[in-house]
Amino acid sequence: MVVFPLLTMVFFTSLMDDGLPTSMPVGVVDLDNTSTSRSLVQRLDAFQMTRVVAHYPSVSEARRDIQENEIYAFLYIPKGTTENLMAGRQPKISFYYSYTTLASGALLMKDLKTISTLGSAAVGQATMRAKGFTDAQIQTFLQPIRLDVHQIANPWISYNSYLSTMLVPGMIMLFIFLISAYSLGTELKFGTSKQWLEKADNRIFVALAGKFLPQTIIWLALVYGYEYYVFYVLHFPHLGSPWMLVLLGLMQVLGAQGFGIFAFGLMPSLRMSMSVCSLWAVLSFSMVGSAFPVMGMDGALQSLSWLFPLRHYYMIYQISVFNGYPLLEAWFHFAALAAFTLLPWLVIRKIKNAMLTYVYIP
Amino acid sequence: MSTYLNSYRRRIDDAFFIWREEMKNVFKDEGVLIFFIIVPLIYPLLYSWVYNNETVHDVPVAVVDQSHTALSRQFIRMCDASADVKVAYYAQDLDEAKSLVSRQLVKGIYLIPSDFETNVYRMQQGVISVYCDMSLMLTYKAIFQTAQLVSMQMGAGIQTKLGQHFTSRDEAIAARPLDYAEVPIFNPQGGYGSFVLPGVLILIFQQTLVLGIGMSAGTARERNRYKQLIPVTRPYRNVFRIVFGKSLCYLMIYTLMGAWLVIAVPRLFHFPQLATWQSLLILMIPYTLACVFFGMVVSCLVKYRENVMLLMVFVSVPLLFMTGVSWPQSNIPGFWQGVSWVFPSTFGVRAYVRLNSMGATISDVSTEIHLLWLHAFLYFWLACVVYGYQIYLARHDAFWRYREMLKKRAKAA
Repeated sequence: MVVFPLLTMVFFTSLMDDGLPTSMPVGVVDLDNTSTSRSLVQRLDAFQMTRVVAHYPSVSEARRDIQENEIYAFLYIPKGTTENLMAGRQPKISFYYSYTTLASGALLMKDLKTISTLGSAAVGQATMRAKGFTDAQIQTFLQPIRLDVHQIANPWISYNSYLSTMLVPGMIMLFIFLISAYSLGTELKFGTSKQWLEKADNRIFVALAGKFLPQTIIWLALVYGYEYYVFYVLHFPHLGSPWMLVLLGLMQVLGAQGFGIFAFGLMPSLRMSMSVCSLWAVLSFSMVGSAFPVMGMDGALQSLSWLFPLRHYYMIYQISVFNGYPLLEAWFHFAALAAFTLLPWLVIRKIKNAMLTYVYIP
Repeated sequence: MSTYLNSYRRRIDDAFFIWREEMKNVFKDEGVLIFFIIVPLIYPLLYSWVYNNETVHDVPVAVVDQSHTALSRQFIRMCDASADVKVAYYAQDLDEAKSLVSRQLVKGIYLIPSDFETNVYRMQQGVISVYCDMSLMLTYKAIFQTAQLVSMQMGAGIQTKLGQHFTSRDEAIAARPLDYAEVPIFNPQGGYGSFVLPGVLILIFQQTLVLGIGMSAGTARERNRYKQLIPVTRPYRNVFRIVFGKSLCYLMIYTLMGAWLVIAVPRLFHFPQLATWQSLLILMIPYTLACVFFGMVVSCLVKYRENVMLLMVFVSVPLLFMTGVSWPQSNIPGFWQGVSWVFPSTFGVRAYVRLNSMGATISDVSTEIHLLWLHAFLYFWLACVVYGYQIYLARHDAFWRYREMLKKRAKAA
């Protein structure tokens, strides 16, 4: 119960230790082979994210290496580039990047684009220097409109702080789902359900509370431990107050437990309720919309996403913790999580009935 | 009849008997049926539906235009006209725009300061501030890249006006002496679905198979009087017959499911499909075998069937990451790479993505296919070993129960 979530935490935070993938292998097809083209390649190699690992004599060989997963992208400099550049005939270089891995594709595209623009600018700069312009004038001429980009709350564009803050809570919720259904189901399976209820004087509410309170405490310890580790040891960006984290952790645990108990109440069979919980939880990783945004999905799916506790967790996290806006802006999602907590209320009679009368069938 | 032929026939009969029993179990047990049939049928459809739109278009942004000039309006118009960004609100100041972001109405802010046009026409750099809500990577990319593209295009326009050129060709060369073409290959529109789905499909294949086998083994254990996996009756005496019989059953079901997952689903949703059926077959045979034997090994190692579920559901998300689909393979720490080699899905996904999305040939993925055969081979023997142990356990217990029974009888007599 404790080991799996801990393992996940270690896995994800260590997997994306760098935040951004660095030194991704890139190839070069340099048919020009002049000092200009070589300096272009050297500058590309100097970027943090790319590492030039191979030179190829032709495009088809570079493509084959992409297919063999040796490199993720390559830069193609045709013969006569420098010559045409000097003569002002606007030569063309190309970069090819594989989009089968979206993260590496997008990042490499950025680097390759920058290097190509720089190559262009270097030529313009040399010409204008020769004409006697000042550096400030040259810069203005080459880039009349400059963008001043503010990446609010995550200036390092770290992937780690995206994925680890969604995936690990998601995994923890998955576990809460499963364990909640499991602990009710095993009462039936091992035939201890009647004793369990007797201990609570046949009051199902007391029985449930007694069963899940210790679990809640363990889960809370796990969640808070994780939040402390991520936000105060690894220093993930967060603008919200620590109290917001505490509240969010509490809502996350209670909402997930509520859902787990509800699933069991709907189908009082260990195996079915666990299957439903796990399928629901795995699906919620897609419906949460942190990788592919919910607003890009079909309308029906956008409404469906409200049925996933993880989605509400993520929205509260995003609004109130990550961006630090007041909780009022996320009231809907907060209310939804509260509703998930109260869901067992609907099926509490059914659970009692099941506990007293059902016989476990393997 | 010679004794040889007799025993040979016997072996085949036994294997088929086990196969028939297993088939019956699978179709009688609803838990197993969910994982063998329903999940592989429904899940790909759901995922495809979720990711079917591939990219985000028209990300809403707010504009704070303090310049109110022709140039600033041109910038706004051009951003609005782009595919990725939609100017949803005009805000009076940054605070108002910020409150729009906090209500999730917009995902970013373009701020054009009051001296924007003046600066540009005074031969100074005009600065446009872009504020991005960083909680979603794709919207950040859309907002930032659109602004970059528009500013570069407008910049080029301003340059050509300043540059005293004679022909339009002259202008083009002055604006961009070194031209470049960017060519995204293998997923040209940069779609999210085409990128993540092939990997997910192959992973679903393995996970459901292992879950299903685990469930059916769990059920067999619970139905058995003595909580044993293997009955002590005649056909269940030989390890190979058990392994062959059971794996034949799973193999038959998953041949169908495999065809559905790797051929029908990508076709239904128009995901890239470059592989020929021959190469898919060459890949899927070792992959299916490896998964079946892997599942059988797991099912023997785990005692309660619910624990199989805990284990497999738990590893499924990390497994997707370790295949190198969403996080580049070259950046996975060595330790986790080592761990990922245990699972057939790691190589299966890699080979399938390259065959199917990148149009590689079989020789390009020969390493992965060889490793899958190795997996199939190793897990087969491992399955034999663990089943052998189960048989030993069953008979050991049966023997002692028999002794007890004899004692009791002796006492009674």
